[in-house]
Amino acid sequence: MQACNGCEFIGTLYYDPEFQIWVRREQNGSLTVGMTDISQTVAGKILHVRVRRPGTRRPAGKPVATVESGKWAGPVPNYFDCVIIEGNPAVLADPPLLNADPYGAWISRVEPTLGADLALADFLTGETAFAGYCERVRNEGIQCERRTG
Amino acid sequence: MTVRDPKQWRLLETGLRRAAENFAIDRALLESHQAGTSPHTLRFLRFHPSALLGFHQNVEQELNLDYIRAHDIDIQRRLTGGGAIYFAPEHLGWELFLDKAVLGTADMTVIARRICEAAAAGLSSLGVDARFRPRNDIEVDGRKISGTGGAFDGDSILYQGTVLVAFDVERMLRVLRIPAEKLSDKAIASAGERVVSLQGLLGSPPALDTVRQALATAFGQAFGALFETESQLNPAELPLYEDALAEIDCNDWIYQRNRPETEAPMREAIHRCRGGTLRCGVVLDEPRQRLNQVWITGDFFAAPRRLVVDLESALRNTALVDLERNVGRFFDGYPVQMMMLGPDDFAAAIRSAVASVPEPVDG
Repeated sequence: MQACNGCEFIGTLYYDPEFQIWVRREQNGSLTVGMTDISQTVAGKILHVRVRRPGTRRPAGKPVATVESGKWAGPVPNYFDCVIIEGNPAVLADPPLLNADPYGAWISRVEPTLGADLALADFLTGETAFAGYCERVRNEGIQCERRTG
Repeated sequence: MTVRDPKQWRLLETGLRRAAENFAIDRALLESHQAGTSPHTLRFLRFHPSALLGFHQNVEQELNLDYIRAHDIDIQRRLTGGGAIYFAPEHLGWELFLDKAVLGTADMTVIARRICEAAAAGLSSLGVDARFRPRNDIEVDGRKISGTGGAFDGDSILYQGTVLVAFDVERMLRVLRIPAEKLSDKAIASAGERVVSLQGLLGSPPALDTVRQALATAFGQAFGALFETESQLNPAELPLYEDALAEIDCNDWIYQRNRPETEAPMREAIHRCRGGTLRCGVVLDEPRQRLNQVWITGDFFAAPRRLVVDLESALRNTALVDLERNVGRFFDGYPVQMMMLGPDDFAAAIRSAVASVPEPVDG
């Protein structure tokens, strides 16, 4: 685990260019999606999560899930065409888990329609991702914190 | 990539509309703004009588459907978060469609505060002392005059608020699902102490145009923006509006979340202590063991007057297991005067309500 301004980062995951979501490749070709420490910090305490029904196909740009924190609601961004396998029952039952454990509390598992390699073609990982992640944290003056209760 | 003048905004007046049309416009404008085909926009809107749910709320857990059907009131689901509200033609809605670059921050709390402070300045110019109350309300002397909420899509945000130009407190209470006890004359008077309209403060309701002008001037000053007035959506927005209306103007959209009332029963209890009598109502999300809402009234002395409203607000969505800790935390940071009453009494009153037998669900 690495960190910038208290914002944790895991080098083995894949990240969108804005570092809003993380994606983990699973051995069966599916992808697991969650919010980064940056996203959960910027969002504040998350009170609601909704994941679309399993089996729903979502093109790039159409969200798989929505979240609500305070009085803000919005999509968890989706960057690739996929079919939803499932939402995380633990997160659906207890949304603030996304704040307490952003890399453990995944949001959804999806099947990328064109395969994991193509889905992740524009994602960043490893040291390149860490450099970009830290740059966003510093540029926006983000200091990560974990909320509980 | 968007090329948009950060200082040249559109002022869009969309008039009195059905809720579905208003929210289809919201969605079209947010989507188009994110795509770079809409300018930064200040929109004013009004509604035919409507019960408006927060984006993730459950219909039957929040609204009194019998009353709503009997009085021909629309139901719709907002794009924005927060709680259910009643929106009448005499209320004025305002909305901003901006991006995080204009606001200079991605921090949602800071964005809400900056926008609400500007709206409060606008209302104050009408002759009332309006102030931002964290997290999302604008109040006058402890009474709410404007509730707000936001939605985001990428870097674009929609932030919206209400202005109670005039206000029928009883109707608001009957539209929302709240305990019967709150509908007594005394309770209506009590709710009237927590919410206030411009008419209530100024003696007569100001003209809607006067309120619009005051808000536009304040937003313009706060963000250094100039306005160009429009009354129509632009060619990029119109097809998005038609698509959005087709999707949301139906029960599938409105009832997409509708966990039954029985999963969030309303409970009430009276707690008597040395400091007086506390009447407490709660809506408990049973599967999640979480307090959806808390109401406290009764006969006791606590100052300032807004203490109870702030406590209710602080306890919304509290996990039951954290109740005593969160009550304690609230009072730790709150300047309060109470007579023979302590934080433990409030926690005990809430616990009594949680432990009471739920009110039967109608129908």
